Amino acid sequence: MSEFFLHNLWLVPVYGIIGAFLTLPWSVGLIRRTGPRPAAYINLFMTFIGFVHGTWAFTNLWHSPPQQLSLEWLHVADLQLSLVIEISPVNLGAMELVTAICLLAQVFALGYMEKDWSIARFYGLMGLFEAALSGLAISDSLLLSYGLLEILTFSTYLLVGFWYAQPLVVTAARDAFLTKRVGDILLLMGIVTLSSYGTGLTFSELEAWAANPPLTPWECSLLGLALIAGPVGKCAQFPLNLWLDEAMEGPNPAGIIRNTVVVSAGAFVLLKMEPVYTITPVTSDALIIIGTITAVGASLVALAQIDIKRALSHSTSAYMGLVFIAVGLDQIDIALLLLLTHAIAKAVLFMSIGGIILNTHGQNITEMGGLWSRMPATTTAFIVGSAGLVCLFPFGTFWTMRRWVNGFWETPIWLLVLLVGVNFFTSINLTRLFRLVFLGKPQQKTRRSPEVIWLMAFPMVTGTILTLLVPLLLQRWQLLLTWSPGNDFLARTLIVTLAMPMLITAGALGVVVGLLIPLSRSMSRPTQFYLRFIQDLLAYDFYIDRAYNFTVVLMVSQLSKVMAWIDRYVVDGFVNLTGFATLFGGSALKYNVSGQSQFYILTIVIGIGLALGWFMFTGQWTTIFEFWSKQLA
Amino acid sequence: MLSALIWLPLIGALIIAVIPPAENSQTPRNIALVSSFCVFGWGLWIAINYDVAIAGLQFAEHIPWVEWLGLNYDIAIDGLSLPLMVLNGLLTLVAIWISSKEIHRPRFYFALFLLLQASVNGAFLAQDVLLFFLFYEIEIIPLYFLIAIWGGKRRGYAAIKFLLYTAVSGILLLASFLGLTFLSGANTFAYTALQNTSLPMASQLLLLAGIVVGFGIKIPFLPFHTWLPDAHVEASTPVSVILAGVLLKLGTYGLLRFGLGLFPEAWSVVAPWLAIWAAISALYGASCAIAQTDMKKVVAYSSIAHMAFILLAAAAATPISLAAAEIQMISHGLISGLLFLLVGIVYKKTGSRDVNYLRGLLNPERGLPITGALMILGVMASAGLPGMAGFVAEFLIFRGSFIAYPIPTLLCLVGTGLTAVYFLLMINKVFFGRLTPELAAMDPVNWGDQFPAVVLVILLFIFGLQPQWMIRWSEADTAALITPTAQVELSLNSLQ
Amino acid sequence: MVTTVLEPSRHPLAKYVHRLEQGLPMLDNNDQNVMEVVGILKSYGIVLDAYSNNLNYVAESQFLNLFPFFKYFNGEVNAGKLGQFWWHKRINYEYAEYCMRSMFWHGGGGLDAYVDSPEFIAVAKQAIAARWKNNPLMLSLNKLFPDFLLEQTRQMAYYTGLGQFWRVMSDMFLALSDRYDAGEIKSTSDVTQHILAALVADAAKPITYKVELGGKTYHLIPESAGITFLMDTGVPYVEAIFFRGTPFPGTVSYNAQAAQIPPEKSTFTYGALYADPLPIGGSGIPPTLLMQDMRHYLPDYLQKYYDKTGRSEQDIRVKICQTFQKSMFCVTSAALMGLVPNPLDTDDFEAQQANRTFFESWMDRLIPSQITNVNQA
Repeated sequence: MSEFFLHNLWLVPVYGIIGAFLTLPWSVGLIRRTGPRPAAYINLFMTFIGFVHGTWAFTNLWHSPPQQLSLEWLHVADLQLSLVIEISPVNLGAMELVTAICLLAQVFALGYMEKDWSIARFYGLMGLFEAALSGLAISDSLLLSYGLLEILTFSTYLLVGFWYAQPLVVTAARDAFLTKRVGDILLLMGIVTLSSYGTGLTFSELEAWAANPPLTPWECSLLGLALIAGPVGKCAQFPLNLWLDEAMEGPNPAGIIRNTVVVSAGAFVLLKMEPVYTITPVTSDALIIIGTITAVGASLVALAQIDIKRALSHSTSAYMGLVFIAVGLDQIDIALLLLLTHAIAKAVLFMSIGGIILNTHGQNITEMGGLWSRMPATTTAFIVGSAGLVCLFPFGTFWTMRRWVNGFWETPIWLLVLLVGVNFFTSINLTRLFRLVFLGKPQQKTRRSPEVIWLMAFPMVTGTILTLLVPLLLQRWQLLLTWSPGNDFLARTLIVTLAMPMLITAGALGVVVGLLIPLSRSMSRPTQFYLRFIQDLLAYDFYIDRAYNFTVVLMVSQLSKVMAWIDRYVVDGFVNLTGFATLFGGSALKYNVSGQSQFYILTIVIGIGLALGWFMFTGQWTTIFEFWSKQLA
Repeated sequence: MLSALIWLPLIGALIIAVIPPAENSQTPRNIALVSSFCVFGWGLWIAINYDVAIAGLQFAEHIPWVEWLGLNYDIAIDGLSLPLMVLNGLLTLVAIWISSKEIHRPRFYFALFLLLQASVNGAFLAQDVLLFFLFYEIEIIPLYFLIAIWGGKRRGYAAIKFLLYTAVSGILLLASFLGLTFLSGANTFAYTALQNTSLPMASQLLLLAGIVVGFGIKIPFLPFHTWLPDAHVEASTPVSVILAGVLLKLGTYGLLRFGLGLFPEAWSVVAPWLAIWAAISALYGASCAIAQTDMKKVVAYSSIAHMAFILLAAAAATPISLAAAEIQMISHGLISGLLFLLVGIVYKKTGSRDVNYLRGLLNPERGLPITGALMILGVMASAGLPGMAGFVAEFLIFRGSFIAYPIPTLLCLVGTGLTAVYFLLMINKVFFGRLTPELAAMDPVNWGDQFPAVVLVILLFIFGLQPQWMIRWSEADTAALITPTAQVELSLNSLQ
Repeated sequence: MVTTVLEPSRHPLAKYVHRLEQGLPMLDNNDQNVMEVVGILKSYGIVLDAYSNNLNYVAESQFLNLFPFFKYFNGEVNAGKLGQFWWHKRINYEYAEYCMRSMFWHGGGGLDAYVDSPEFIAVAKQAIAARWKNNPLMLSLNKLFPDFLLEQTRQMAYYTGLGQFWRVMSDMFLALSDRYDAGEIKSTSDVTQHILAALVADAAKPITYKVELGGKTYHLIPESAGITFLMDTGVPYVEAIFFRGTPFPGTVSYNAQAAQIPPEKSTFTYGALYADPLPIGGSGIPPTLLMQDMRHYLPDYLQKYYDKTGRSEQDIRVKICQTFQKSMFCVTSAALMGLVPNPLDTDDFEAQQANRTFFESWMDRLIPSQITNVNQA
């Protein structure tokens, strides 16, 4: 029985697809007299089956070695491409996380989207989302992973575009797709290159190939950079980070998945490709630089956001930045732990704010306040989620951080400073949010705010409990991690000893600062020019979008306008006209229709015929060609 | 057997022509439907009976014709032409299906369509270069009338432009074919005979130039492409579907068969330049598409960009890239046919194709939601979304060409990236947003109009998930195209 | 004595000011409009009947039930009902709750004030204690989050408040339909007068709320609280649902930095009189639920009319919404006539002027509404 579940593990993504497919009768309007909720129930059911299947396989896996299932997809000439999945504890663990969060988010959506008549489409897209994500978790081939990443890009586009009539959604969905697509195309370039240089595209083949690549260092660097571009886009890292901010226009239940497992999916692919990065230090350096810039930048940007969803989504970018750094440092276990602890905590946070948005009909935190006493589940979820996110004993991230700095890995001093910084700023941000949203006096929009209905409260509470259980899970999954201590442990005792106290202090300090900084609930802004400048700079994401508008976007749009102009007036008007003028004389080239158009056709056909006959009978062709071949030879 | 593919539609056309005209009659359309259905079915039957295991020509028919000229009725089918023949059958059926029931002069219209199908099939099947040329020229005439009579406001302009360009294309091809025959001293136009001739490199290059430019106009490549956007804009939807879906493939088919196939040595000399040309053409088409405001023009320029990938693959001439070129022809045929069909629906319902005027068409009650959904899938297929046919074709083209020409391949990949840009700009303007009151009174689309689009989307998915069903037909024959030319350099550093 | 005559209004919507002053509805009078309005109010009446029954049921029988899985079943749980529920072959009570929550959120009127009063809180606390008397977990949770169950109880009060309000409205609309069938309703003015008469007749009807827990009755809103139909539920309802409403995620961005949603609730214009009917049926447009419910109960004459206009069945919800908006302007007209400070037929100049000011101030709010569109069609 357990063998059956293992060998048919590929079914888990398929469940999602089936669910998505079955929503069609409602989403395309074949069933109109009754409502669309059966589509939601079907998808919930399929997700549940996937979850159960995965759980069963997971619990039975501990005793069997990793195995691969392969399906030949395509072969042309000497190219063989297979779709491969690997059944290993890490992969199944990731898939469990995906299906669990999808299940919670889908139950949550049943409440959150209860007033939306298009939930069939919504759940169909969620099914697609889930299929791509769970496929990514178990995929063992770069090609399959690429395909699933693209489908993820596509379903992100559709989910962000779910409220298609809303003005900001129109651009947000487009930008989300295009930004991710930039990364995907670069990744595709990398894949084409890899495949052309003779490696198979499964991760194990890649690892073997990377041990001795037939490339110059320069080519290796380019290849490595192309390969990380995909995850950079997916994980919303600088400079492809803005889509996540814009994607917050989409419905919150999709936001739960997007801010947790979708960004993690990109990072998961990243760390599967890790052997390739080791070819050249350039790639690891790039990962570390990108990760650092994003972690610092996004932590700061989050502080200035007044939109509750965006304040949290930028923090997602920051944590993914830490994952990038971990991968860059070749610390895969840390990256995995970060993904796990971040995903669960963030899911709970996003569920919590979902209830708030629904109750207050807004996302502006300056208009909120005083919610705590009326919304126990929401408040608890926010507190526990925040605790799980920052380095606070005994919650998830604490153990991840501890593992990172307690000597098993090399911990450069800059990394410690960075972690302290991120932890500090995240604490400030979450404390600030908590104060504005939950504490203080109720404002007009938070004056009436009963706790959310059970369909939303239930997954919220479940997630809260899950977050609390993360330390236990970690303990159980420690078996999956490597336990060899760093070789220079003794040389760095000072860092190792001080690291955890520093991190915890930073978190605590962040809370204190968060509690003490003056928060204005009104829209008033600092009068000092510098303060205002900094606030705006952060609030508008360092104006990166404007930088894009004045560079890439401007360039593409102007270039295309110039091209279109050239096409119309130079290529069409001049080049071709001159060409035809010499061929046909002046009369035909105005493309005039003098009612005689049929006449032209006859002229041409007859002309060609006559020329043909004349040449053939007089043998002119041979003469002409002999002449030219002599000339050219 | 194969002849039926040419003669069946001709008979259909004849029947339509001789039946007495009746007011408001659906007879011509029905006859055309039955005829094209039979041709499609027959094409499928031939495909089923085609033996993929053996490369080379099958179902050959030979009837001596103008023997003193060396022109014979030689037709046969191989893996290169078979998928295109089936594609022609499918898209002609689609085009006739979506042709308006109230079209004026229906007898002439449907007869022309069947004539078009017959001549295109003839061109795909011809194994005699002169016969190919004949069909290639005949095909111009019905298409010219289809644009000139049932087109838009500037149909006369577009039709004449199309005619002139294609005529030049024909002249160049004819010159090259004749030149090849006479220079090589072969007293036949039979393809297989011409394949075995050997000429000095200079003459080869000259003849190849004629063929490349001749087909380059048809495909079309920069700078010979300007007839295409005009023709598409003015042509009615069914004509656009055929034009983009099938007729452009005549060009790439010819390029492979008569360019690469007849002049392998010369080809390997010019190939690097062709690859660069392909990259420029692809990027040029893509950037022009971004600036367009007419939906049809966007799709037309996208065609130019996507057809350029085939030139890249042909230039690289690796076993993978050539198989990929064939797949790209099929997938582009399906995708561009689908996109023109959907743009046609939008135009028919709203009376506009202006991306700055149309808005919010996804509205489920008063808009065109299903059309919009299919359009999203169509542009995603075009942008190379994995799971659909476009991805398989493009991935294999890039994978096959990278070894030979890395830089042009990467540039073409950028072109693929730009596909998403111009199509999403279009989709998000036209289908997203709030439906404007001016647009709120359009008629609903009935399922009959959308049915062909649904079929095409399903096919795109099937071929995307099971690419072997597309590859199996032609792999052996595309590989055969290059076996005589083992000297094509497959070095990684050919550009360095 | 100098008789002063009121000059014509210079308001942008002066036409409607004058109509209201003459006791006429804002909606143009023609047979088409009368047919549409009465027809839609008939189906609305049927739907409101179901909504009202359910809201009252929830308030009485699902008091502080934290997992009210069967709250839409009205106490009748069997396999058939469950099947229908899962197949979504049912009234969308979610919409009723949405209206209730909007009303609760926007507040205003006596009910809003009463649920904050010490009397209500005292009884509510007793009821909560009784409801959870054997559940220390819940009681301690309630201690930890002191307003949790109290806020839920307030919401329960709104359940019943809206339920009782809609009870009256439903009966009124069904009676209107009966009178139309009997040939008594001939103009839009007749419609408005019918509604006005019913509103006036029930104006002082008390709104009360009591729950029975463990054999003991808790009078959460006793009659002595003086909560009445018109001023304490009707007016806040019109304000919350017709005028303010809540932003639809399908058409308005919630992005705080984009600032599309005004910070003041009172300046919201997302209500039934303002909403654009075109997006109905799309994603993120809650009123779709109501239109969907009404489509099942359209009288034959209205169904026939929809069948032959536009896309017949395919865009029926948009058409229903357009008609519904017409009827809502009639209801609003009646409400305004009921609330006007002086009798409409007064000869007193001062009184007339007061009425003018009253109507003009309401018309100010209606400038961005759909009133011109409604009268164009």
